[in-house]
Order: sequence, then C-alpha cells, then structure tokens
Amino acid sequence: MVAAQQIRDVNGRSSDAVARQRASSIELRGLSKSYDDVEVLKNLDLHINAGEFFTLLGPSGSGKSTILRLVAGFERPDTGSIRIGGTEVVELPPNRRNVNTVFQSYALFAHLSVRDNMAFGPRMLGWKKDRIGQRVQEMAAFINIAELLGRRIDQLSGGQRQRVALARALINEPDVLLLDEPLSALDAGLRSQLQVELRRIQRRLGMTFVFVTHDQEEALVMSDRIAVLNDGHLQQVSAPQALYERPQNLFVARFMGHSNVFPISARASDHLLTPLGRISGQFGAGSHVLVRPEAITVRAQPQGDANHFPATVSECIYRGDFVEYRMQCGAARLTAKRANRGEPLFEVGAQVSASVASAAVVLLDG
Amino acid sequence: MKSRRLGVSLRIIWYLVLFFLYAPLFVVVLYSFNDANTTTHITHFSLRWYRRLFGNAQVLDALKLSIWLGLGSSVISAVLGTMLGYGMYIHRGARRLAWLVWIVYLPVATPDILYGISELGFFTDVHARFGILRPGFLTMLIAHVSFQLPFVALVVYSRLVGLDPELFNACRDLYANGWQRARFFIVPTLSPAILAGFFLSFTLSIDDLVISFFTTGPGNTTLPIYIWSAIRKGVTPEVNAAAAILIGGVFAAATVAMVVQYMKALTRRQRNALL
Amino acid sequence: MAEAVASRQATGYQGRFLGLGSDAWHILGVIMPGVLWIVVFLVVPMLLLVGIAFMTNGPYGLPEQPFTLDAFRQLAGFGLLGWGPGNLLVILRTLWQTALATLLVTLISYPVAYYVTTRPPALQPILLLLVVAPSWSNQVIRAMGWMNLLAPGTPLSTLAAKLGLIAPELGLFPSAFAVTLGLVYDFLPFMVLPLYASFERLDHAQVEAAYDLHAGPVRAFLHAVLPQTLPGLLAGIMLVGIPAFGMYVVPELLGGGKSLMLGNLIARQFQDASNWPYGAAASIVMIAVTLVGLVVLRRLSRRAAGGVEVVL
Repeated sequence: MVAAQQIRDVNGRSSDAVARQRASSIELRGLSKSYDDVEVLKNLDLHINAGEFFTLLGPSGSGKSTILRLVAGFERPDTGSIRIGGTEVVELPPNRRNVNTVFQSYALFAHLSVRDNMAFGPRMLGWKKDRIGQRVQEMAAFINIAELLGRRIDQLSGGQRQRVALARALINEPDVLLLDEPLSALDAGLRSQLQVELRRIQRRLGMTFVFVTHDQEEALVMSDRIAVLNDGHLQQVSAPQALYERPQNLFVARFMGHSNVFPISARASDHLLTPLGRISGQFGAGSHVLVRPEAITVRAQPQGDANHFPATVSECIYRGDFVEYRMQCGAARLTAKRANRGEPLFEVGAQVSASVASAAVVLLDG
Repeated sequence: MKSRRLGVSLRIIWYLVLFFLYAPLFVVVLYSFNDANTTTHITHFSLRWYRRLFGNAQVLDALKLSIWLGLGSSVISAVLGTMLGYGMYIHRGARRLAWLVWIVYLPVATPDILYGISELGFFTDVHARFGILRPGFLTMLIAHVSFQLPFVALVVYSRLVGLDPELFNACRDLYANGWQRARFFIVPTLSPAILAGFFLSFTLSIDDLVISFFTTGPGNTTLPIYIWSAIRKGVTPEVNAAAAILIGGVFAAATVAMVVQYMKALTRRQRNALL
Repeated sequence: MAEAVASRQATGYQGRFLGLGSDAWHILGVIMPGVLWIVVFLVVPMLLLVGIAFMTNGPYGLPEQPFTLDAFRQLAGFGLLGWGPGNLLVILRTLWQTALATLLVTLISYPVAYYVTTRPPALQPILLLLVVAPSWSNQVIRAMGWMNLLAPGTPLSTLAAKLGLIAPELGLFPSAFAVTLGLVYDFLPFMVLPLYASFERLDHAQVEAAYDLHAGPVRAFLHAVLPQTLPGLLAGIMLVGIPAFGMYVVPELLGGGKSLMLGNLIARQFQDASNWPYGAAASIVMIAVTLVGLVVLRRLSRRAAGGVEVVL
C-alpha cells in the first residue's frame, strides 16, 4: 500500500525518486479496425490528455479492448493514426513504443521469479545490471511487493500477481500505461482496495493511464475522464460527475445504471409530456428524460413545487444509510432515493407526492 | 455400482490382468537366469547366458549402433519437431494450413510394415538413379527422424496450447524483439517439452524393428534386428538374456522418470527435506 | 477468436521482404523443414509404392515397365493355376483377427479401467503406469515372452493338451490363438487409457438415477455408463483396431507361417518371394482399410462428442 508518508527503499532514498514525471498525450484519429469482416471500430477520434487517468468503459464487444491493443501495438488499424506524445506510432511494433500493458490475465512468465519478471523489460532494453537491480528494488518497495521478489509466480495469490504485473510494466518508465481490465479476476474486497491504490499510484507518478473496464462503478471511482463505448462508437466522453449526472443519451444512461428514464410523448415551448406527467421548464433537444432518484423528493402532500406527481408507494427498501422508494406514478414506475435522516418511512400503498426540480431533469438523445 | 460382489470381482479381474501383463516379461527374465538350454525346464540359477552375451561382439555392436541411431535421430527430430510444433501453434488459425494436420499425423497412423517397405522401395530407387543413399545407417536415420518428428511436434504443440496467448504479446510489450523472445521466453518455457520429445524419440528409435529392418543395409544391425534374427532361428536363453537386459533398461528408465516427476511435484521445502 | 488473432499477430509485423510478408517467411523457415522431411521421406515413398503396384514384376523382383494390372489380378487370387482363395482368405483373416482382438481388448479394458477409478486418486497414476509399462518393452521381446510361455512342452501347452484342446505334441504356439493373444497383449493399454479418461469424467448421478428408476445393474450399465464412455471407447478402437490391422511382428512370430495376416503377406513379397508389384497392390489394400477406418472413426467420435472436434 502506498501510504501517505515517504517510503524509503533499500538504499534509504525516498520513493519520490521513483516518481518520475513522464507522461504523454494520446491522439487517435479516424481509427478503423475489422476482424474477419466484422467492423469493430469505425472512424474513431479520441484525445487523451497527458497525465490523465482515462477509462474506456463499455460492454463486451464494444471495442474498448481493441482500442487498447491498437495503442499497445498488438494489432494494426485498418485506417487511422495513433499519436503518442505527438509522435505517429502506427508503423511501430510494440517493442518500439514507449508504452506498457498490464494484461487481464497478467501474462506473468511462469519460468521466472518475480524479480526476473520485473527485470525482463529493462534487460531487453539493455540497461546496465546495476541500474536494473536498483530500479527493481525501488519499484518493489513502491508497489509494496519487496518481500515477494524471490518467489515464483505460481506461489502468488491473485492480488499479488496483479501487483507484480503492474510493477513489471511500470519499471520501464513508459509514457503511457495501458490496463486491460486488470481487476476483473479479483474478489470484491480486493478490487475496491486496488482501485484506490491504482489511483494513488497514478497520481503519484503523474503518468497517463488508459484503463479498460465494463464496470461503471469502477470507472467512476478511478478516472479523470471516461469514454463510454458501444459497438465501436463513442457515446460520451466526460468527467465522472458529468457522466453520471448528465448522461447524453439513452445508452449511457442505462449503462450507468439509471432507472428513471422516460420517453417524451409531446413537447411544447414550456413543458414536456411524459408517462410520469407534465414537466415544466425549457429544455433542449432529446427523446427521453432522466430523473435521478437522488433528485426526487417524496412527501405526503405536494408543497408548491413546480413538478409534482401523485404516486403510490409499491416498495419501500430500507438500505441502512439510505432509503429507496419504488412508486407507481401515473403510467410510469419511479424510483426515489433519500438519505436516511431518521424520518418516518412511507408504507407500501401510501399515496405520496413525488417532486423534482426542472433543473435536475436531464434530456437524453435516443 | 457399489455392491461388494462387484468390488471383489473387479479386484480379481485386475490381478488376473496384471498377471497376464507381466507373465511373458517375467518368463523372459526367468529363463535368462536358467541354467538349462531349453525353455521347458527350470534347473538352477546361472549367469552363463549373460556372460556369453557380454562376450558376444555382435550384440555389443548392435547395442552401440542402436544407441547412436537413437541419439542421432532424436537430436534431429527434437530440433525439427520443435520448430514444426511451434509453427503449428503460431499459425493454428490459418485456414490455408489445414492440410498440415494430415501431414503431421501421417507417420503416426501408418502401420510400420507399410512404412518400412515404402522406404525400401524409395531408397532402392534413389540409389539406383542417383547413386546416393545406399541402404545403411543413414537411410535408417532418415526413416527414424521422419516417424519421430510428429511426436515431438505434438508434444511441443500441446505445451504451447496450454500457455496464456497473451504471454507472446507481453514479451513484445516489454521490448523483446523476435530473437530475444525466442531465447528468453519460448525456449525456456518449452525446454521440458523438448526434452520429453527427445526422450520419446529416443525410445521410439530404440524400440523400432520393422522400419529399421527394411531400411538397413549389410553390416548395420540394430539390437532389435539382432534379436529378431536370433529368434527366427529359435529362441535361446542367450537371446532371453539380451531381452531381459532391454526390459531392465526400460523399467529402470521408467522408474527414473517417475521419480523425477514425483520430485518435481514436491515443493522446494519438501525436496530439501528429502535430500 | 481474439486468441487466433493474437497468435497471428504474435509472429511479427507486416513488412515485406523479397516479395513475401513476414508471415510467409515465418512459415517457410519454421514449418517447412519438418514438413518437407515428412513429404520427401514418407509421402513420396508411399506414392511411389502405389505406383509400383501398377508395374510388372521384373526378373530380379524389382518392378519395371510396362504398366499393368497383373499385380491386382494376383491379389484377387488369379495365379498360374487359376483362381484360388488364398489371398482373399488372408485379408479376411486379418479383418477377423483385428475385430476379435479389439473386442477382447474392450471386454477386458472396461473392468480394468473402472477398477482404477475406484482406487484412491493418488494411487491411480501408479496403477495406470503398471498397465502401460509392459508396452514400453520392445514388441519383439513381448512376442518372444509369449513364445516362451506357449511353446510345446510348457506348462500351459501341456494343460491345453490334457484338456483335449490341442494335440499333445503341439504347443499353443504357433497358432491363430497365439496371434490373437499377442495382439490383445500388445494393445490392451491403448484401450485402458482412453476408457479410464472417460470413466474419470463419468457422471455418477446418472447411474444412481438409473437405479432410482428401477433399473438392474445390467440395464444401468447399458443406459447410464456405456453411452458416457462412448468417446473413450471410440478413441480406444481407433488406437487398437487400426494399428492391429497392420501388425507384422506378432503374426510373424506367433503365427508360424500358417496364420498369415496382411502385413506378413506384404513383407514376404519384398523379401524371398520377390514380387514387389504384388506386395504393393496388397499394400494399397492396407492403406485403403486404414484410411477408411480412420475417417469413419473420426466421424463417429466427432458425433459422440457432440460435434466437438476430437483431437487425439
């Protein structure tokens, strides 16, 4: 664990020596890739800032791993350009790009010890033995695997292997680190722990991380910015807060787990008609509305709010730190979430009034 | 299926089968120590057939030839077979190489008598036409390599299939070029498989009779050929002695292999405790 | 699919050298030496052999022009004295011995393989090793062992004579019985191993279900066990039947010239009898049977495994 205080390595030097500022931006232009007539990516444009923790988020088959493999160099795009730190790299094989990958299956060399796995990249690059030895020690201390250096890979647990894979990649001081669903094989507790740790390491090193996952919660926890992909197309690229609170289309809203999504049946200059009822306000373009559960207030009587709808409570789910109400509201089913401040709960079947401010209503494209 | 009667009858069958399996070999060893010159009467224990055997220059020459043949052919097939197995793995998605499987399995599926006589025809023809490859050691070697190759290739191939395919990409990701990948990853990972292939080839070579018989020339007698010719004239205890040695050798090698396997399966600590 | 793509990309980059992509060079360099060896030293000789079948038998037994079908006529039995069934008998006898040996091997292997699975797991590899180990010895030596055991005057032969099975001065060898015995002995491990693998994967719940549904032991075996062992059984038949058909050493040593199998017939033409085209024609029969057997068995095992490719 990278703790708040300075970690000293074998030679007594502080671990700031490990944190070299080295990062590059990534520019993808017009990227297309097909496998056996299946078009996985078509004309994709994406820009990743230097030093950013950038996440590619999407369901299986959305193309997120393909993008990663193209940046790493394991695949060649059919068309398009890939610039890392301003340099075009499409023609370069992976071993000539200053990019390293943490694989989903870790891909550690079973016939080498942890130390030799970490030293692999530097050896191939021809670093001097002294420097390799020193850097291995530093990196092992930094990632907190110093006591594992002499072990063989089959003696390690899942979490330990993940750390070794990370150390093996980072020791080469790449401009960009690519991570292909590295936490998917771990159990929930370990995952949460490592999510935070990875984020800390990235901040410490100031390196550009490109992270692939299908878990939207994971993406929200770790990222500076997130790109949501579906079927090879970018759906939205935003910071976590904007992505969650202001999804731009139906796919993103559903993928982020939002439940209160309703089609707009009619619109006028000052209101919208939805299965929920009438929502006043001036809204931009869009085919659906999203009302986040946290933005809905549930009261026994309407209290002069702009948008209030009569509803019947169908379920009341007490989750300890918050309460969730599932309600039947007109033709729609509405979910509301409220922090538990000790107020009395509404019972099933109670007639209530659900209200939401117009500003909290998000418009979605289809 | 857990009735006791079934259990008992299974056990009886098992022991009967074991007896059946080891009786002929046991008898060979038994008769090799038999003083009498016939196979029907056991007199007393004697080592005279072994003494005769070790004084028999022909047998020793045959043994030497078999070993050289085995080593030579195994080295070549280890190299070629590994390359072939590796190539099969790398290109296993390629549809245009589908015929490769047939080529590789052909030597495995061909009965050795067919193998032998087609080689005989081939080498005779080649010798008649071009004057090279007179039937002898070289022709045997060539034939042996050709039937050992697929086994090595298959052993190497199955080892590769068991690997995480991303390991190859991991090497490139960590800046290894083609040669470095081969030297630091592929060869170390494959070396147990290559060794297994080598031993398998050696065993196949030492054991072979029919193919060697039809591809050899005058003066090039392998041990199995020697035993074969001797038996045709009638089984003598001396032949039994030679056979017993071969049996002993095979079982010794098998025991060593088993012990090695067992040791490998132990952890380092257990190993240190044993030794 | 990603795996196949990964493997394709793993060879190297798409530059071109001397007009060929690096992929093609890789294939040439890595695969071709081994493949060429097999093609030149096995495929070509076998094609040559097929060709020889159509040639005339020269004075020294070596084949020469012109092309003719004489060899095939001889194979079918047409000799100098008209037609005789000798050759066809050999082929039939080979088929019969193969089938009989395979059947016996199967009958013995089932209980043996099952027995091994009932033993503690740590013991099982050792037991299997015990079954397999005899096959590591040379096939000539194995046959010789049986010659020792079955010769005239040995305990077994004397017993058989006392039981009236054979004449007193003969032995159990040489005979067709000895040949069958030798075949069964040689091929037993090759059926035990695949059957063991099938038994390992056996879903015992199906057997219990059979009993639950009032089936007796025989029916339970037929309906719950046998179908599940089908893949192993087919693999075993492939490993036993096909090589057994091409056996040479066992029938040669244990058959004593009276119980010829196809392999012996072929061999004789290339030795004393010196009639290469005839031998080649007989070889074609062996090739054909082997090929047909392989194809049929592969198809059957593919179906038994539910359409999944069975790689042996």
